Amino acid sequence: MNIQVWFRWLYAALWRIFSGGQPIMNLDQSEMKEYFLDFSVALTGFSKFNLLGTGQADLYYSTIEQNIGNELLQELLQTFHNLDLKAKSANDQSILDKGISFDILDSKKFGAIACNIIKLWYVATWYPIPQTGQDSNSQKPFIVSPQAYPEGLLWSAIGVNPPAAKAPGYGTWSEKPSVTLS
Amino acid sequence: MSQSQTTLKSVDCETVSKTFYDVVIVGAGVAGSIVAKQLSEQGKTVLILEAGTGKSLTLEGFQSHVETFYGAVDKNPNAPYPLNPNALSPTDGANGYFEEKGPLPLSGSYTRVLGGTTMHWEGKTIRMLPEDFELRTRYGHGLDWPISYKDIQPYYRKAEYEIGVSGNTEEQKGLGVTFMDGYVLPMLELPPSYLDQKVSEKIHGTTVEIEGETIKLDLSTFPQGRNSIPNPDYKKYNDGDDFIPQGVGSVEPVEYGERCQGNANCVPICPVQAKYDARKTLNRIAFPERVHILPQAVAYKVEVDPANGRVTAIHYKRYQDKNSPEHTLGIAKGTLFVLATNAVENAKLMLASELPSTSGLMGCHLMDHPFLLAWALMPEVTGTMRGPLVTSGISTFRKGAFRKKQSAFAVDIHNDGWGWSGTGATDVVRDAVDNKHKYGAELRQELISKISRQLLLAFMCELPADPSNRVTIDAQYKDQLGNYRPVIHFDVADYCKNTFAYARKLSQTIFQRLGAEDHTKYDKRDQDGNLDPAYFEYQGESYWFRGGNHFSGTHVMGTTKNNSVVDQNLRSWDHENLYLVGAGSMPSIGSSNTTLTLAALSFKSSEQMLRDLKS
Ligand SMILES: Cc1cc2nc3c(=O)[nH]c(=O)nc-3n(C[C@H](O)[C@H](O)[C@H](O)COP(=O)(O)OP(=O)(O)OC[C@H]3O[C@@H](n4cnc5c(N)ncnc54)[C@H](O)[C@@H]3O)c2cc1C
Ligand code: SF4
Repeated sequence: MNIQVWFRWLYAALWRIFSGGQPIMNLDQSEMKEYFLDFSVALTGFSKFNLLGTGQADLYYSTIEQNIGNELLQELLQTFHNLDLKAKSANDQSILDKGISFDILDSKKFGAIACNIIKLWYVATWYPIPQTGQDSNSQKPFIVSPQAYPEGLLWSAIGVNPPAAKAPGYGTWSEKPSVTLS
Repeated sequence: MSQSQTTLKSVDCETVSKTFYDVVIVGAGVAGSIVAKQLSEQGKTVLILEAGTGKSLTLEGFQSHVETFYGAVDKNPNAPYPLNPNALSPTDGANGYFEEKGPLPLSGSYTRVLGGTTMHWEGKTIRMLPEDFELRTRYGHGLDWPISYKDIQPYYRKAEYEIGVSGNTEEQKGLGVTFMDGYVLPMLELPPSYLDQKVSEKIHGTTVEIEGETIKLDLSTFPQGRNSIPNPDYKKYNDGDDFIPQGVGSVEPVEYGERCQGNANCVPICPVQAKYDARKTLNRIAFPERVHILPQAVAYKVEVDPANGRVTAIHYKRYQDKNSPEHTLGIAKGTLFVLATNAVENAKLMLASELPSTSGLMGCHLMDHPFLLAWALMPEVTGTMRGPLVTSGISTFRKGAFRKKQSAFAVDIHNDGWGWSGTGATDVVRDAVDNKHKYGAELRQELISKISRQLLLAFMCELPADPSNRVTIDAQYKDQLGNYRPVIHFDVADYCKNTFAYARKLSQTIFQRLGAEDHTKYDKRDQDGNLDPAYFEYQGESYWFRGGNHFSGTHVMGTTKNNSVVDQNLRSWDHENLYLVGAGSMPSIGSSNTTLTLAALSFKSSEQMLRDLKS
């Protein structure tokens, strides 16, 4: 383990101790969906308006639930929500950023699921996760629905149309790109 | 094409068995469709036997292909077309249809559906150069044609009309193509992409050396079979009328004359049907009642009268369900017979019928355009992944005395990024998320940085005819209908490998000029540890190539029955009422994608068929 990785690990461990174990609450469906959207905004970098605009939020939510189970999804969303609350009450966005990195993306339990949620939004594809009982060898990735494919956020993120859909019009490819690097 | 247009008639086996046709065509790709159109227009009755399903002829069927494509995780060239075990299509080695005997693979694909491979072609339509027809005489490689560029020139014009070509003749002239005085293509060239412009800005005017010759690195647009803006000067070649672009290949179109809209998905399916495919020819047949189509009919035998060599019938297997091998047998009869199933399938069908031809060259001289790829990240955001797959390239290496030592080539600038080299946009997302744990705004920036700056150069290299590169058959290798699968022997000659080596160096020069980060790497194995069959080492360097999908040469035309399979009109030397159309008849392919030339030859061949039917 190099020093940087070790430091990150230590930081994450301390963070986990100080943020305390997350109490498992019994969230109702609408709360879960709300947390899911907030979580998706943080993960994808797209606004709630954009996410809802894809028309795929419910389908994605149910795809995740079906594939990892309600309990694990609740736990993940609750973890996120607690971080979100903490960040808001302290008025410190970095609490949320660090929490997402260390408590979620770097976590054994939630990491692969969070990554999958991002990929679902970006490329409308669900990839098998080994530790949730999904055998990645026998299971294959799938596109959740043909209609979801053109709604993938990847295409708006890089300022292009989804190949084979939402054509931008004759000659548009000659113009300056709409995206930039900051 | 209007709403009232009649569809071609799909018939059943019974009708076929009761009818004696003027012409029986096997295969509803671009070659077969042109022959059907030309002959029916002159009052001839035509039957087309088609191995694939006939779904794509209706708009509904076409849209189901688009939807299948949307739902496919692996968006390969055959992704819109459901696997058909009764008429398999090779897909870059994916379904093991070709039995590859090596040493290198004939990777690439074609599609056995109504409309054929144009259903997923890219649509470049470049004429061959006059010197390409004399490869052996001028440069000492491959074969000469029995005809010259001048002989085929009028048919190129017909093909350009039929396909609806957009392009710039002035630019093409500068690259060595000759045209009749004042001729223009039906539509104006497609505008170069922003990426093209950025590449051009930095390399324009640069010169490089090749075998002692100096060559300029200028960019030019490619003529393409996709709709742009009709060229007003084309009227002269269209009876004084403006050229009307063909919009929709399916009948009952929703829109008409659709221009290319930059869907960036030309391969494998253009959702607005701005790109030509053979259904546009089929749907434009003026006398549809003269043309019968029997889909789901796989020809497996050409029957010949041993007394005179004349073909008497085509035997086919008709299936109902593509997933079940159950089928009935049928026979189609007529005066003339035309095989238009593409270079690999035509040769396979003849060999399966035990008709290797007097020359013994059936299946030999298999050619393709191997592609060497090189990829880099541009120093600035170029908005990659917009527009038709390719709008411009470098075509200044298509000619020159260097062709004695190494093959000619043309360079594509890919607007669709690195997908072909193995890192598609989805792979970049997976890497950023899974390996780098990027999310939120940082993820968006990462994707712009790693995708929107992508530049892929594809060097399309000429591979001359070599009799040992060939299609054969073997009773061990059959499909579920009991039909042969093609057995392929294929290698890339040093003549072409020299060009790979040169192209790799040239790509480094270009990237340097552009200030682009070179990411090219030819790995022996893929991420899962599988050996890349197209990997090889040459002069101490590693390379792999990708297949060009321009399969050709397998029933080559020539001057006598001893040096070729067909004559200059694509008529079989051995069977006087049999024509083998398509790129299989081409003795060389230069650095031009093959379809425009094979379409031109189909027009030429149709004229001879009409003469035969008169006599
Ligand atoms: C990804 C890709 C990109 C390409 N891009 C270009 C390009 O940019 N420019 C270019 O010039 N060319 C391009 N090509 C090549 C081009 O598509 C072919 O040259 C062209 O389509 C060949 O036409 P064809 O009519 O000879 O054969 P096909 O189009 O292959 O048609 C053959 C027809 O015969 C049918 N058939 C086959 N076997 C049987 C049988 N036994 N019985 C009955 N029917 C049968 C098939 O179903 C099919 O309908 C590309 C090809 C691919 C795969
Ligand atoms: S860029 Fe789009 S609209 Fe144009 S031909 Fe390709 S797929 Fe069709």
